[in-house]
Amino acid sequence: MKSTTFDRANLLCGLLFIALGAFFALQSLTLELGTAFRMGPGYFPLILACALILLGGVILLQSIRVEGEPIGHIAWRGMFFILPAPIFFGLTVRGLGFVPALFLTALIASFASGKMKPLTALVLAFCLTIFSVLVFSYGLGLPFRRFGPWLGF
Amino acid sequence: MKTLNAIIGATALAAATLFSAVAGAQTYPDRTITMVVPFSAGGPTDTVARLVAEAMSKDLGQQVIIENVGGAGGTLGAARVANAEADGYTVLLHHIGMATSDTLYRKLPYETLDAFEYVGLVTEVPMTIVARKDLEPTDLKGLIEYAKANKDTVTVANAGIGAASHLCGMLFMSAIETPLVTVPYKGTGPAMTDLLGGQVDIMCDQTTNTTKQIQGGTIKAYAVTSPERLDVLKDVPTAAEGGLSDFQVGIWHGIYAPKGTPEEAVNRLSEALKVALADPNVAARFAELGTEPSPQSDATPDALKAKLEGEIARWKPVIEAAGEYAD
Amino acid sequence: MDFLSNLALGFSTASSIENLFFCLIGVLLGTLIGVLPGIGATATIAMLLPITFQLEPVSSLIMLAGIYYGAQYGGSTTAILINMPGESSSAVTAIDGYQMARKGRAGAALSIAALGSFFAGSVSTFLVAIFAPPLTAIALQFGSAEYFSLMIVGLVSSIALAHGSVIKALAMVALGLLLGLVGTDIYTGTPRFTLGIREYSDGLNFVAVAVGVFGIAEILRNLENEKTRSLLMAKVSGLLPTRDDFRKMVAPVLRGTVIGSALGILPGGGAILASFASYTVEKRVSDKPEEFGHGAIAGVAGPESANNAGAQTSFIPLLTLGIPANPVMALMIGAMIIQGIVPGPNVATEQPALFWGIIASMWIGNLMLVVLNLPLIGLWVKLLTIPYYVLFPIIMAFCSIGVYSVNSNVYDLFAVAFFGLIGYVLVKLRCEPAPLLLGFVLGPLLEENLRRAMILSRGDPTTFFKRPISATLLVIALAVLVIVFLPSVRKKRDEVFQEED
Repeated sequence: MKSTTFDRANLLCGLLFIALGAFFALQSLTLELGTAFRMGPGYFPLILACALILLGGVILLQSIRVEGEPIGHIAWRGMFFILPAPIFFGLTVRGLGFVPALFLTALIASFASGKMKPLTALVLAFCLTIFSVLVFSYGLGLPFRRFGPWLGF
Repeated sequence: MKTLNAIIGATALAAATLFSAVAGAQTYPDRTITMVVPFSAGGPTDTVARLVAEAMSKDLGQQVIIENVGGAGGTLGAARVANAEADGYTVLLHHIGMATSDTLYRKLPYETLDAFEYVGLVTEVPMTIVARKDLEPTDLKGLIEYAKANKDTVTVANAGIGAASHLCGMLFMSAIETPLVTVPYKGTGPAMTDLLGGQVDIMCDQTTNTTKQIQGGTIKAYAVTSPERLDVLKDVPTAAEGGLSDFQVGIWHGIYAPKGTPEEAVNRLSEALKVALADPNVAARFAELGTEPSPQSDATPDALKAKLEGEIARWKPVIEAAGEYAD
Repeated sequence: MDFLSNLALGFSTASSIENLFFCLIGVLLGTLIGVLPGIGATATIAMLLPITFQLEPVSSLIMLAGIYYGAQYGGSTTAILINMPGESSSAVTAIDGYQMARKGRAGAALSIAALGSFFAGSVSTFLVAIFAPPLTAIALQFGSAEYFSLMIVGLVSSIALAHGSVIKALAMVALGLLLGLVGTDIYTGTPRFTLGIREYSDGLNFVAVAVGVFGIAEILRNLENEKTRSLLMAKVSGLLPTRDDFRKMVAPVLRGTVIGSALGILPGGGAILASFASYTVEKRVSDKPEEFGHGAIAGVAGPESANNAGAQTSFIPLLTLGIPANPVMALMIGAMIIQGIVPGPNVATEQPALFWGIIASMWIGNLMLVVLNLPLIGLWVKLLTIPYYVLFPIIMAFCSIGVYSVNSNVYDLFAVAFFGLIGYVLVKLRCEPAPLLLGFVLGPLLEENLRRAMILSRGDPTTFFKRPISATLLVIALAVLVIVFLPSVRKKRDEVFQEED
């Protein structure tokens, strides 16, 4: 058997954990470690980060010489539209106001699916906005401005 | 270049409409006012804010709603208001942390003394020095002696850096010139639980949190930090009576508006605050919390400004001496 | 029988027409808001809290208790239907509940959750009524050393949450613990792992992390192959549990009730562990542990009961000490204070009608929850027939609102996106999110109590063994570890022997 076969998912997984562990370990080292009596802020995370690196290493070793399930398709389009949606909401809810921010957020998220037609998306975002404004803004009186200062009124 | 001009034009136009909208408003306030509370809902500061906001709403004829913007010892909420539109529709209710965070945080995104207009003081909640109920000393003098004799084993709980109990604990240790073992907790709840369970020795906290426990006999009270004894805790001597003459701490609350808020709006808010503080319902609720509304003369911009300046100066050396910072 | 007369007083208070009405409204609103995806119990209660301020103290608190139960049940509903837990407890429900839903058994899962919760709620209400004072005394024996040992038990148990690789589960727990430490160190005030962003100085928002690693990761997974594959969801069959289901849920519900009631009493966050612990126990005692993670009924019935029992008994420290055991209880205290009742050790004697009224209304609230929700299950399940591409923009919108409403913190929304990405990557690498979430909730508690115990014992690590409760807990942790690893060791050994044959 040649060593060219390995479980790609586990290989990446091991590497990811090692990288994350290394990140936390390096950050911990910049903090004060302290003693066991008065543990500093870096003490406990450093131990955890080392454990994470170790576990990542074990996963990495396990990935060699084993064939695993393939990783499969990746939802590129989904990621491209779904992940920015909450970010967009966060960036605009105070500036544009609750109504337009929510409408656009729903619209952006809608495009994550290839099955969604533009008109359906518009109708959906519209209904969703009406519903949310009625429930959250009028019904529950959450302190959101419905239309924000960027719109000039 | 054309686009740039267009953008500038549009911005100017938008700004103009905005200003005319503000100027055109007949009487302030003509819409809902948001009061930012820089702590989470349900806490003592939130409670004070909700009680005052409700009473102010009645006088202003517009709803004053609470927005909880918690985080980073109240500095996130304060920063939010510092950067808010200075139109009188966003105000901040903050406590003593407004003064102490100026030193506790070395990198604040606002200049505490330059970023706000002052509306007025709301209330000053006294503190109590309390201990687990089986701690030996019977009075404050005894406690101080006991603490000095056992400084390596006496533990002082607090609810985290910048919390009232942290500030008061720091001040107590500096007043008795003895460093004790500090045990921080995440919030008042767990700290109080451990005090009840006898896991820690001493804590200094607001009456809001301690009064019911003292009355219930679950913890021991050594002193209140107000100049006079409190009605709800008649048997508890003041710190001065117990021998700590300058030991006066209170968690004072004030209302602020962003710098540049029109004077008439600030004055109108200050007026509404005065009315709210005179409301017997507010006074009754405050009394249950072990505090009382600030006197009418303190519900003014000048009084709050003086208080803030004085307190920043007072806490700076204490915090610097302790060397504990929050960032 | 003093407590009987007390309970009678409670019921006469709680069952006045108007209090019943407010209880119903509370349960209804709590369910309706809590069922919106991405809006957990804390957010729901924070949103609905101001409504209760206008009422009489007793009515207001009864309504609030109703909201609480409704919100919790609503949260479980979204966890089961769309893998979107809004609370650490419903994260456990999501593991098997969502798998049941995918197999077309959403109705059964929801009914089991409702019935199990009701049973657990009823039992623990009586526990609260009878044993509140003595139990409190025990709870106060728990110091930092004990909590640390308890968290160790929780962590060890977490291995059972995974149905795949144990090593990966451990790595996820470690990562979760580290993520839980993000924020200001309470001992020194030093910000840790915040990348200099002050908005994260109080730690990452739980809902943001949970919605990200569970909900958004699931949405992305569903979007992967939408052209080639139809929905992952099977056709809905049968709304109510079958006789067989009932048989399977009895024992887990009983065990869950016991576990939840015991852990809920601890004011320092024991209730967090309730559903995790129950899941571990069920998986251990089951004769078909391989079913767990693929829609095991016990994996829904046990944790849901434990969770509700824990929620109920966590009122004990609130009512007897005036100390909130969790953020939701802190909100309740806030509501009490605004009503002019400052909770403390004397609430029961000073305000008997209020104290016992709340206890009675807990049971009434649970009853209403069942009465209200069993018929609604049909409606919830219908929601699953909405095409997925219509459902997920709705999910994204609500979870944006829900996450933002808690602290108006924009960075919490950025965290949602970030953890959605991380969650999706980890799912693709065949790592399960539940252990990560458990680590995330336990991280701060574990470190805080470890460091505090060391300070209190003046740096003597034997404190964990010298204190009897702590030592007992550590022995339990060791036992769990042995039980968890033994069968796999044996299995491995058997395999080795087979190969040799």
